[in-house]
Amino acid sequence: MDPAPPQSPPVEPAPASGWPRRALAVVRAIDAVNRAVWKLVLWLTLAMVLVGTYNALSRYFETHFEARLASNAWIELAWYLFSLVFLLAAPWALRIGAHVRVDVLYGRVSARTKRWIDLGGALLFTIPFSAFALFIALPAVQRSVAISETSPDPGGLARWPIKLVIPIAFGLLLAAAIAEALRHAVWLFGSDADRTRIETSDRSAGVKD
Amino acid sequence: MDWLGPVMFVLVFVLIFIGYPVAFSLGGIALLFAAIGVEFGYFSWAYLNAFPERVFGVMSNQILLAVPFFIYMGTMLERSRLAEDLLKTIGLLFGPLRGGLALAVVIVGTLLAAATGVVGASVVAMGMISLPVMLRYGYSPELSSGVICASGTLGQIVPPSVVLVVLADQLSISVGDLFIGSLIPGLMLAGMYAAYVVFVAFKNPAAAPAMPKEERAEYSAAALAWRVARALVPPLFLILVVLGSIFQGVATPTEAGALGAVGAMLLALLNGRLDLPTLRGTMEETAKLTTMVVFLLIGSTLFTLVFRGVYGDIWIEDLLTNLPGGLIGLLVIANLVVFVLGFFIDFFEIAFIVLPLIAPAARALGLEGPMMVWFGVLLGMNLQTSFLTPPFGFSLFYLRGVAPKELPTSAIYRGALPFIGIQLIGLAVIACFPEIVTARID
Repeated sequence: MDPAPPQSPPVEPAPASGWPRRALAVVRAIDAVNRAVWKLVLWLTLAMVLVGTYNALSRYFETHFEARLASNAWIELAWYLFSLVFLLAAPWALRIGAHVRVDVLYGRVSARTKRWIDLGGALLFTIPFSAFALFIALPAVQRSVAISETSPDPGGLARWPIKLVIPIAFGLLLAAAIAEALRHAVWLFGSDADRTRIETSDRSAGVKD
Repeated sequence: MDWLGPVMFVLVFVLIFIGYPVAFSLGGIALLFAAIGVEFGYFSWAYLNAFPERVFGVMSNQILLAVPFFIYMGTMLERSRLAEDLLKTIGLLFGPLRGGLALAVVIVGTLLAAATGVVGASVVAMGMISLPVMLRYGYSPELSSGVICASGTLGQIVPPSVVLVVLADQLSISVGDLFIGSLIPGLMLAGMYAAYVVFVAFKNPAAAPAMPKEERAEYSAAALAWRVARALVPPLFLILVVLGSIFQGVATPTEAGALGAVGAMLLALLNGRLDLPTLRGTMEETAKLTTMVVFLLIGSTLFTLVFRGVYGDIWIEDLLTNLPGGLIGLLVIANLVVFVLGFFIDFFEIAFIVLPLIAPAARALGLEGPMMVWFGVLLGMNLQTSFLTPPFGFSLFYLRGVAPKELPTSAIYRGALPFIGIQLIGLAVIACFPEIVTARID
């Protein structure tokens, strides 16, 4: 897939300067955090499947052999993991274009128009939406943490940590959306070297075009 | 300010067409209209305090938990190339018959192809695996592409599938009931596809030839039997265990999904295919699709919340419950709307945006219990037909993406036509005889 390496040592694009340089530094930092979170989340999908299976088997054995295996803690752990997966995967999914689009038009327009659409969408939709979700969730989450909320069911897990993940996830999503906006703005208004740098990083992240 | 709801409804469809990710478009548009509503004193921000509780409801929803499990199972079978082996083995088994490969595609499509519920994924997978083989053996491009597009989408409405889980959640019916209700209609369609393939093979043998003798000679009867035992029986067994445990009431769909996911991993392990790239690929796909589906739901939750806040739900319900013809009128309109939307947007968007608006009206007109399941099956089949219909059908579009350049788009379109005909017959039968769906539901 990758283009053949050039014969001579690759020419480093001229270092970016001014606002694109600072913008791209921010973008890189946000990308690094969200990519690290993503790598953790991948293994959580496996954990979720294993815990789900444990729950299925333990309920079965309990019904049929009167063994005491199932507990609310395990049952809650399954949906805790599910929550961690979908909440924390969302920011990097935004980066790599995994959130579904209606591509009747999007699939037919130029790369430049696509960047414009994504810049506008980040500014008008994703940034306000994630900021809203972050701030409206805060009071309830603060209450939950303050009282160390636990599961209403016997033997259940502490509830506040999973609630705390909600503002964290929307915070990361907000950061990811800001990174997208900056990235597209630099691509649209920056130099050729900036553009090359962004496209290289897009390819290595595995962005779906 | 009564116009706010209708304007919001129309604008959301206009805006998601621009092509920005739908989940966030929905959330953003919701906030925009909330702000307009507040500005005119027609809406209060306090109304949105319900949002965190809704998000928490999604997180702890036991039905939605089944979604990543079925995605994991389907992706694991695909990434470990067990689905490919299954297709090739059934191809070898039926290969000596005229039309055998096409029959293999129908069977595999029905069983496996759409466990992940995304039209693109299943059609692309089937297209990449079986289209080249069929063309090489001299199948007509029309029959090959038609059968792949149709079977690739059929899996979505044959249990177990993610689409049915989401549909059940949105219509507030039991997943188990929807699985039971959709089984016979799905098998009926698969049977009609198979009958059509056989019909073509006999009427026009050149369009669906048997595998050449030389190819078959490579496999002795014993070798073939071994292949069947290794590649066909285990995945089939897995699917039957998953479905059987749900139908027998031994396991909930969520439990069965988790077992299916681990079962798929075990099969891959036994075949020596559970290496790190396969596991990684499966985990990545599961994370991507899960967050995609759930965030779509979260975005549309906010949308629905604001839409209700500006009384849009009352407007829609009035509109839908006062249609001429009452319930029949609603069914006709709902199906027409869903059919047309299916040209442009995929299953999950329709399930999350449109169904919450249609379902209350259907309930108000007296559709409940098993009949709601019937309604769900009808909508599912209808959407599947929509995905097949030129020029916009998703299924055709994705097959075009993986088909060789020599295969003209017109052949893909022509190939879909007979299957659309079959779908319409199937739809008519299910619409006229709801017992086919409801008979086995308590």
